[in-house]
Amino acid sequence: MKWSTFKRILLCLLLLSVTYSLVAKETYSPGVEKYHTLWNKLIPRYGKIQYAGSMGFLSAGTGWAYGTNDQWETDLLIGIIPRYSSKRAKATLTLKQNFMPWKIKLNDQFNIEPLACGLYLNTVLDNEFWVKEPEKYPSGYYGFSTKLRTNIFAGQRVSYRYDRNDLNKKITLFYELSTSDLYFISGATNKYIHPRDVLSLSFGVKLQLF
Amino acid sequence: MINKGFYLGLGISFLLTGCDLIEYHPYDVRIDGETGINVKNIERIENACEGKDTIRFAFMGDSQRWYDETSDFVKHVNSQDSIDFVIHGGDISDFGITKEFLWIRDIMSGLHVPYVALIGNHDILGNGKEVFERVYGDENFSFVAGDTKFVCMNTNALEYDYSHPVPDFNFIAEEMTDTMAFSRTVAVMHVKPFDDQFNNNVAPLFHAEIKKYPSLQFALHAHNHRLQVTDAFNDGFLYYGCASMKERNYMVFTLTPEGYSYEVVYF
Repeated sequence: MKWSTFKRILLCLLLLSVTYSLVAKETYSPGVEKYHTLWNKLIPRYGKIQYAGSMGFLSAGTGWAYGTNDQWETDLLIGIIPRYSSKRAKATLTLKQNFMPWKIKLNDQFNIEPLACGLYLNTVLDNEFWVKEPEKYPSGYYGFSTKLRTNIFAGQRVSYRYDRNDLNKKITLFYELSTSDLYFISGATNKYIHPRDVLSLSFGVKLQLF
Repeated sequence: MINKGFYLGLGISFLLTGCDLIEYHPYDVRIDGETGINVKNIERIENACEGKDTIRFAFMGDSQRWYDETSDFVKHVNSQDSIDFVIHGGDISDFGITKEFLWIRDIMSGLHVPYVALIGNHDILGNGKEVFERVYGDENFSFVAGDTKFVCMNTNALEYDYSHPVPDFNFIAEEMTDTMAFSRTVAVMHVKPFDDQFNNNVAPLFHAEIKKYPSLQFALHAHNHRLQVTDAFNDGFLYYGCASMKERNYMVFTLTPEGYSYEVVYF
């Protein structure tokens, strides 16, 4: 990541936290309460770490749960691809949309989500990759983006409430199988390519603190 | 005990099959299996062809996303007699993704004869170039089969800027210094002069330079996905272009003491 981008992100976070602390000090009024609810919704309440899944060796980030039963989740993850045989290690960014249609309560502390599915966009932060073909190419020369991958996934989750006094506090383990746009095209048009060649398995943990 | 062993075995086998499914990123350049293929196969080609006065080789290219066709190509070449080696003219992959190189590598490793692969413009996408270098080797290389030197060059200039010489005239000159080791030459490239990827500002210069090689027979290229024979500079010197694997054909060249001939083989 470029230093200037990093500084910009840092500045945004600083401004956000200052605004929030100012708002939090205000005395009660209906307008302020509205603000409070809005800000409350914007505060991320969980952290997530995911291993593999074609988005990096390890990705970590946060996100927001919403919906009547918190069946929707939107994550923002930053990942790392180690160097291996390439010139340098690379960072990635992932925007992930999760949908968990069912929640099955096993007991007071455990519940499982038999299906967690959705899609994620992943981008490599490296100047050798492009979203749109550089102008030097005749238009539509390659017709795809090296920088941006669209992945679909399906998996399962199990959650454990580690604090009986606070129902929000929980730790969730999950696994997922995913594939991306380019793999899908390759697999769909060749008998040689088996599903196992284009499926990517990943594991993760989500920690909800409040 | 038996039960425990069974479940342990089941668990381990699940983990092992799971390992295949672990991918960090399509462009992670994390490579399992054989690497440095060109160097190893050049040694095999040079040893097998030493002292031979007739050389037969197959020329193909642009395997890209045609894995089924490339598998059939390998079977077909294996059923042929007297082919000494195979040259892949580049565009091994379609998107420059690490796994694509490994799939084609695994298919091509089924060949009974050795092969070498050139770098194509698709192989440079993302960090495909780094995969190519690891799996195959240098972007410019040469080998001598019998009395003929094959000079294989990266000509995908559009993928680079001026910080990286394509074609590399230093390499072309260096390959002329050991003229004792060969009496004939064949030039091999992914993109021929005057095509979209070539640095056409130097096309005539490139042509003049390669023609300095001892008894240059012809040039080979891929990239255009169709069979072509081009007298690119109207001087009688021919550039032969192979079709993509999708077209289900490849070229077989025979070099004899009297000259050369070629045929197109369909599969």
